Formats: sequence, C-alpha cells, structure tokens
Amino acid sequence: MTKWMRRALGGVGLVAAMAMLMAGCGARDAGDADESATAGGGDKPQVALIMKSLANEFFKTMEEGARAHHAENAERYDLIAQGIKDELDVNRQVQLVEQMVARGVDAIVIAPADSKALVGVCAQAMAEGVTVVNIDNKLDAAVLEEQGVEIPFVGPDNRAGARLVGEELAKALAPGSEVAIIEGVPTAYNAQQRKAGFEDAMNAAGMKIVASQSARWEMSEAARIVPPILSAHPELKALLCANDSMALGAVAALREAGRLGDVLVVGYDNISAVQELIRDGQMLATADQHADQLAVYGIEYALEILETGAAPADRETPVDLVTAETMGS
Amino acid sequence: MTAGKAAGAGGGGMPRAIADYLGMLGVLLALIVFFSLTAPNFLTVRTFQTIANQAPDAIVIAVGMTFVLIIGGIDLSVGSVMALSGAVLGVGMAQWGWSLPTAAAVGLGVGLLCGAANGALTVRWPIPSFIVTLGMMEIARGAAYLTVSSQTQYVGSRIGVLADTRVLGLSLPFLIAIAVVVVGQAVLSGTTFGRHVLAIGANEEAARLSGLATGRSRLIVFAACGMLSGLASVILVSRMASADPNMGTGYELQAIAAVVIGGTSLMGGRGSVVKSFFGVLIIAVLGYGLAQMGAQDPTKRVVTGAVIVAAVIADYYRGRMRR
Repeated sequence: MTKWMRRALGGVGLVAAMAMLMAGCGARDAGDADESATAGGGDKPQVALIMKSLANEFFKTMEEGARAHHAENAERYDLIAQGIKDELDVNRQVQLVEQMVARGVDAIVIAPADSKALVGVCAQAMAEGVTVVNIDNKLDAAVLEEQGVEIPFVGPDNRAGARLVGEELAKALAPGSEVAIIEGVPTAYNAQQRKAGFEDAMNAAGMKIVASQSARWEMSEAARIVPPILSAHPELKALLCANDSMALGAVAALREAGRLGDVLVVGYDNISAVQELIRDGQMLATADQHADQLAVYGIEYALEILETGAAPADRETPVDLVTAETMGS
Repeated sequence: MTAGKAAGAGGGGMPRAIADYLGMLGVLLALIVFFSLTAPNFLTVRTFQTIANQAPDAIVIAVGMTFVLIIGGIDLSVGSVMALSGAVLGVGMAQWGWSLPTAAAVGLGVGLLCGAANGALTVRWPIPSFIVTLGMMEIARGAAYLTVSSQTQYVGSRIGVLADTRVLGLSLPFLIAIAVVVVGQAVLSGTTFGRHVLAIGANEEAARLSGLATGRSRLIVFAACGMLSGLASVILVSRMASADPNMGTGYELQAIAAVVIGGTSLMGGRGSVVKSFFGVLIIAVLGYGLAQMGAQDPTKRVVTGAVIVAAVIADYYRGRMRR
C-alpha cells in the first residue's frame, strides 16, 4: 500500500514538475511575443505570421527574413511569428489561427499546412475583421469559392520556376534524351506544380520522361530510389529533383554508381548546401524563390491592405534561375 | 513457458538455427526471383552492390534494436539520435575543422550518451522504455535542428572517403556492418552477457531474483543501441557528403519491422541478430525492386506493410511447428 502511495505521489510530482516546465516554456514564448507586441505603443497594427515547420530550412529562412524586416520597420507594425512542429500538423495550425484571432491581431499572414483544411478557419478570421494573406502554399480555389471568401495569395509560381530550371537543363541535353523526375510529397500543391513545370519544359524540348517517382522531399529516400531508376533506364541523361535535399541524395547515388557528370542533376530552392555542388559542376541548376523575402512580401501586402483598404488580389513574387554562371556574376 | 522461450532462442542447436536462416534466405531469394522476372535489368551485379552500399546504416541500427527488443524494451529514438550525431559530426567537420577520425569518434560518443541516458532513465525509474525513448526522440531531433540551425550541412569529399573506399566492390560501411552483425550474434549466443539478456527478456523478475544485474545489462543494451545509431549516422553522412537534420526520420519503425521480420519477439526473450540482418535485406530488396518496377510511393508502402505482416505470421507458424 505504502509502496503504491509512494509511486502515486512520485507520479504526481513528476506530472507537476512537467507542468511547471511547460508553463515555464509557455510563459517564455508568450513573453517573447508580448515583447515585440508592446515594443513601441499600442496603435501599431499587429501582424501574425503563421508558418509550417520551423524545422524546415525553408521556413526557418522565411522566419529570419521576416524578423529582419521587422527589426528595420519596428515602428510600422508588431510581429508575432509562430510555426508548427510538423509540416503535416494541420490541427495545431488551425488552433494557432484561432489563438491569434482571440488575441486580437489585425492581420494574419499564413503558409497553410494544408490547402483545403485551413480555408474554414481563415474565413472565420476574416469574418472577425482580420486581414488574411496567404503565402507559400496556395489555398484551394474551389474550397475558397465554396466558402465564399477571397483570400489573396502572395507567392512564387512554382510551375514557372520549375519550367525555368527544366529549360536550362534542356539546353544541355540532346533532343529525345531520357530523363526522370524525383517528386516531392505527391499531395502537396507545390510538389504537383514543380512536377508539372518540369514536364512542361521536358515535353516542349522533346525529351522523354521515362520515370517519375516521389522521394517525399527527403535526401536519403532520393538516394534510395535513384539507383533502381538508373538500372531500369541505363540511358538516363538527367534527374529533375523537386527540391535540393533530394538533389543532394541523387548526387550521392550517382557518385556511388560512377555516373556523376554523365547524368545531370537539377534541383529547386537554392539551399546553402547545394551552392558548392553547383559551383563545381556536380549540379547544373536550381531555382531561388527568395525564401527570406516570401514572408516579407506577405507582410508588406497585409500592411498595404490595412492602410489603404485595397481589394485583395493575388500577387506573384520572383523566382530566379541559379547556375554556376549566375553565381559567378 | 518463459524458460522454454529463453532456451529456444539461446541454446537452439545448430541445425535449427541453420534451418531458420534458410527460411529467411528462401524469402529473400523468392523476392529476387520475382523482381528478376518483373523489373527490367534487376538481376545484375550492380543491383546487389548498390543494395549492399545502401543498407549498412539500417543494418547496424537493426543489430542494436534486436538487443533492445530481446530485453523486452523498445527504442523509438534511434532515427533522431542518428540525426543528432550526424549534425554534430557535420558541423564539427565543416565549421570547426575536425578531422574525420575525431568527428567519427564524437559522432559515436553522442549516440552512446543518448543511448546511455535512455538506459539509465528506464533503470532508475520504472518508466517503460517506450516513453523514455519517445522523449529522447523529440529531444535528439530538436537538438539536431539546433546544432545545424535547421540547415542541411554540406561536408564535401573529406567525409566521402569513408563511403567511397571499396574492398572487392563492396563499400567499407557494408563490411563494417557485417562485422557488427557477426560480433552481435557472437555476443548474443556465445557469451554470459548474451544469456543474461535473453533471460531478462524472458522474465526480468525471475532474472533479478536469481541474482543477475538486470539494471546493468539494460543500461549496456540501450547504450550500445545508441552508439550503433551514431555509427549509422557516420555511415549515412559519409554517403551523402552532407548532414541533414531530417535524416533518419522513420528509421525506428523500419528497424523494428526488420527485426520483427527476423523473428525477434516484441515481447522479449527471443531473437537473432543474423535474422534481423536478413530482415533488413528483405526490406531493402523490396524497396529497390518496387522502385525499379516504377511503383509509386503509396503502392510501395502498401506492399512493404503487407510483407511485414505476412513475414510475422509465417514466423508464428514456424514457431508452432517446432513445439
């Protein structure tokens, strides 16, 4: 009996300790947010930036860009930046939007984890008078129409970006060459757009797409699926990867197979790790969507709508081709 | 019943062990024949070389996981520990100018520390290893992101040396993995420590009452599993020439699947390192063959899942026929 009680007490103690720990973390987070919110008076608009996983380099860069912009424009607005743990944690993101509305922010700039599931809560936020701007992953047009809301999208055209990379690759290939696409997560809108862009460029240049498989945005998964594609298609001349992590994996697999140089690799995103590969010719090209500016474009647009009350319309942001040549200049 | 379980695994006669290995080998051969008939250019030396070069990280993790499952535990943190070791290794080499041996040693050390922490926590407090390692899974993953500031760290050819070294067409990591399997099996079936591990897994209370240092054995098993995760990260970072903080996601489940396909019981007290090795190869051949056939991701997942369940059911019937 006493042993049980001791255990029970121990358990309660542990739970209490964990609760305090969490409360501590929570308090600190809130403190951070409050700090930026109260930094300089109460009449500045509050802008909440809600992103996907901050563990992902892309969103981390986006957040840093937004913070830098805020540091320079602290007198114009207050920034509350939030992310979720896992890119697929849709529920948590819905809760974040609700929290921000409850907190009384003036604008929400959001990179939705899901292009359909987030429409409802964004519509509610707009009904409460919050300005909502959609960045990164475009909300589904059909669902938006069904809910009767218009949420402006500010972001790059992934399809056009991928087409740009594909066209650069096509210049280095003989017409009729066999190529393969390494796709991202097939359910993601940007993955579909990039695949479509690659296909546009390859079809236009008369290349033969002999394989198209998903490596779920992951480096080691790409290294796992590239060798079988190579042996199924020995004449393969190029791999078009929907992000740079997968391009890194593809380069590793080609090096192992002794086919580097003979099979060309292109990627997307321009992460820091591929820049050296592009410089020394192991990768041909990638696309830069200016991740550090993506959130900034969204924030600027939200502020513009708040100030002028302009009607929301989509706005396209630049995508640039990156090759050894452009890096040299 | 528990005593019988322990004896069935530890003291099994040679003929039975060989019959078991032949069973697994049969499954592997069946897969190879199937893919040779259905996938273009599957049956080539290159295919097997590639699989041998791809599998080492999964093999060494499966060896560690085999011991953990035999002792009646589970380690969900292997993939994250791998990412953390890899992150430290990558940043150490690329930014702090560590030499490859130093970086590799630190990588193993990070894994060892995480594993030892898992072990110590489950020994000191009566918390299931499921919970402790679930915690470590989050801690190590978060720490990995912090170490590399959430960016893939490019290391370059300095670390590639390890994976690019070939002996008889096989990569150095594969030979290391084979050595780990051989040593692992020898420890499990040929040493007192191995017998303790089996006894603890069969019935921890009985093992304790008969005077075995169960806590110490648990600690060693978890620490070894952590260190092998560290070894896996050295291997993977070397292959990729870069450290990705997302690496190893899902490895824990893949390792558990491979080990269970190899007939190791999730309840503990029974298992074989060599059969776990075959389990990894079965999953690797399956993945390779399906990709070569051009199967899409959802199909691959469905088929792999079905094979795991079928293999475990087959193992259940093999076990029953023996009694």
